[in-house]
Amino acid sequence: MEHKPKALTVLNWLTGAVFVVALYIVLIWAPQEAIMGDVQRVFYFHVSAGWVGALAFLVTAIVGGIYLARGEQRWDRVAQASVEIGVVFAFINIVTGSIWARPIWNTWWTWDPRLVTATIMELIYIAYMMLRRGIEDPDRRARFGAVYSIVGFISVPLTFLSIRIFRTIHPIVVGSSDPAALGAFDMTVDMRVAFFFSLFTFTLLYITLLWHRLRLQVKMEKIEERKLRALSS
Amino acid sequence: MIFQEGPADTLNYMIAGYAVILGAIGLYIVNIILRFRNLRQDEALLDEIDAEHA
Repeated sequence: MEHKPKALTVLNWLTGAVFVVALYIVLIWAPQEAIMGDVQRVFYFHVSAGWVGALAFLVTAIVGGIYLARGEQRWDRVAQASVEIGVVFAFINIVTGSIWARPIWNTWWTWDPRLVTATIMELIYIAYMMLRRGIEDPDRRARFGAVYSIVGFISVPLTFLSIRIFRTIHPIVVGSSDPAALGAFDMTVDMRVAFFFSLFTFTLLYITLLWHRLRLQVKMEKIEERKLRALSS
Repeated sequence: MIFQEGPADTLNYMIAGYAVILGAIGLYIVNIILRFRNLRQDEALLDEIDAEHA
């Protein structure tokens, strides 16, 4: 059995420690928002989860392009690993947004451009994972995945820019919000520290999970190969 | 300032939000661990089969 690289073990501990520190910062150290109260603290990890989702889908699109250019299976492995992580974190982003919205907008859901585009983006990548499973030939599956991930990536900048292009009640974190936005707030210095530290924490978490998921993918393919050999013999 | 209300009481929503965040991340990590474990079991079985054929 392949042993876990020492660097990965170090990364595991580092990510765990940084995550604990981030929890302390967002739950205790960061000041309470003057109007929204404690639910505003969800914002730090809500945005960070959205960031990881977008980053993961960007990585998937990039390695998809590299796979189409070079045809090397390892790039497809990265795509598979990254998409799975992206789907999980985009889900966290959507659900925590809904939880935040309940006391602030007085509703769990509204057909706001940001919410709709984020949900469509999530569904596009869930479909990616499901459709891939329907293709037996590994090369065809990888090529399909690559093309789909490149085209599907259009949903990511659309989701990000939706609150700047369309009329929305979703607040804008960086820059000025639409006057109709509900729940906008100006970040104090401490809040900015908590916000950027959360982004850093989640990026580290993404890298760690991606490495683990890649190792899992390599192992899955090796076992599959051995099973086929055992069956044929 | 006398009539200014304090922040809204939204602690329960914050708890719910962090329960979702930690729960989802935790479940995903457990999912990866379990998949690794299943693969190790498959690998052990394949090793046995290879040993029998050898």
